[in-house]
Amino acid sequence: MQAIEYFEVECTEKLGGEYYRQIANDVLLDHNLLRVIHKMHIYIDPKVPIFVAVGVLKKVTTLVRVGDIANVNPQEGKMTLAISDETWLAPMLKIFWDRFGKDHVEQPDRFTVILYGVTAGAREIEEIAIADPSQALYKDLIYALKCTCPEGFRVRSENYGAEKFSFVASEDTLTDAGMALIKEKFAFMGETP
Amino acid sequence: MILVPITYRGGVYRHSEIIDLIEDLGGYIVQKHMIAQEVVIQCFVPKDDVKLIRAIGKPLAGEVTDSPLVGTEIAVVSMSLEIHHLPHPSCDIAEYVRRLGAKSNMVGMARGVGKRIAGLNDEERDVINEHDIAVYLLGNFETCIEHKMPVLLRGIEVPVVLCGGPDKDVLERIVEPKVDGYVGNVGRFMHRTKESEELSKLDEIIAEITRVLSKRREELAKDPLSVSPARLMDVIREQVPAILDVTSPTPLTVQMSGLRVKLPYDTYADVLRKTEIEDGITIGDIAAIEPSRMRDYIIVRVRPFSETNMVI
Repeated sequence: MQAIEYFEVECTEKLGGEYYRQIANDVLLDHNLLRVIHKMHIYIDPKVPIFVAVGVLKKVTTLVRVGDIANVNPQEGKMTLAISDETWLAPMLKIFWDRFGKDHVEQPDRFTVILYGVTAGAREIEEIAIADPSQALYKDLIYALKCTCPEGFRVRSENYGAEKFSFVASEDTLTDAGMALIKEKFAFMGETP
Repeated sequence: MILVPITYRGGVYRHSEIIDLIEDLGGYIVQKHMIAQEVVIQCFVPKDDVKLIRAIGKPLAGEVTDSPLVGTEIAVVSMSLEIHHLPHPSCDIAEYVRRLGAKSNMVGMARGVGKRIAGLNDEERDVINEHDIAVYLLGNFETCIEHKMPVLLRGIEVPVVLCGGPDKDVLERIVEPKVDGYVGNVGRFMHRTKESEELSKLDEIIAEITRVLSKRREELAKDPLSVSPARLMDVIREQVPAILDVTSPTPLTVQMSGLRVKLPYDTYADVLRKTEIEDGITIGDIAAIEPSRMRDYIIVRVRPFSETNMVI
């Protein structure tokens, strides 16, 4: 857990807490989330029962632009893009179709896209934003927390915004006392919700 | 003649000689796997002849090992089939007992999760009761285990080995009603068991299962079965040719005191009942043929000597 500045699992059962620390570590590692979490505090009380996870995220990486995944080679009357990473190919094509029209976009093979009769310069094409990875991050994070928390805890409250997140889950209806724990646990990390 | 469960592992070349030998010695082959150039035979053989099989198998690069779990069907009971419990640890444990010769089935509960909301329905209960032993895989919190176990053990008649996160002595203290075996420090985890410490935990589970099954074997020996399930398997294989067309890996699953026959109950129950074993004695005379809760299979429960007054 070196990438995380603060990581604590607090539990009323000592051994259970140690196991959940391992589970949280495995899940975050599997979902590749360790690099985006700055601080995290998990609190579990199986007697109540309640599971609280609060945390702070790192500054999320910037937008993905055409220049990040392709080499743009201007030629006479056309522009050839050599794709190096297919991950964002589909959203990129969609943006090209909307912007230039399907007649001007051709994909002869997996790693090549050719734009015909485009007025924009190579630099301008490279700067087109094609995806925002931070949008998927919230979904991934909540999914990871769902995997971490005990499965029977199906009444959940999830909150995310301004690089901070909170997740409360229980078997029973969530009470005000349970929700108040969010503030308390943020305070452990020296943060406010 | 005392039959002991063993596994023979060797090359495909001339393995039919080993099969003939086992059959000539009066043993029974429970399962045979051909994996590329290797053959694995799980069988029951007379105790005194194990040395002979080992000696004859040696020039064929054959290896004979004791497999106490051969001829048993084990239910690995997982609290759910969600990512929380699968594939680790449920699959790891189910796979490990399979390696040692047992036939393991995974029973994923519909509502096994949680503390207050956990429950066991009649189908799950009946399916578990069709096995020789049930291995319950629970979570990490003693509060939850203590709270839900009375519900999850309601109506379970087979021996139970319980695995959970807390230490073994804690499990022994909190679980009510008491079960037959406990393995501590094996709760929910989200990674593959590959560290030596984790593998030794799997060995501990096997040791506990073996201990509980040996106890059960001793109990069975006090009132022996009218016929050995392995022999019954041979009889059915010879006299009910439809079983040869079943594509399941184990069309006949041997249990400690019975047999699961993977043929439809409605069509084949009477055929089985009337199948003759020896001297006019039919399977129906010495065993109960019942519909299984697993698909439309048949479960054959062999009656003990005290009920039938015969041993064949």
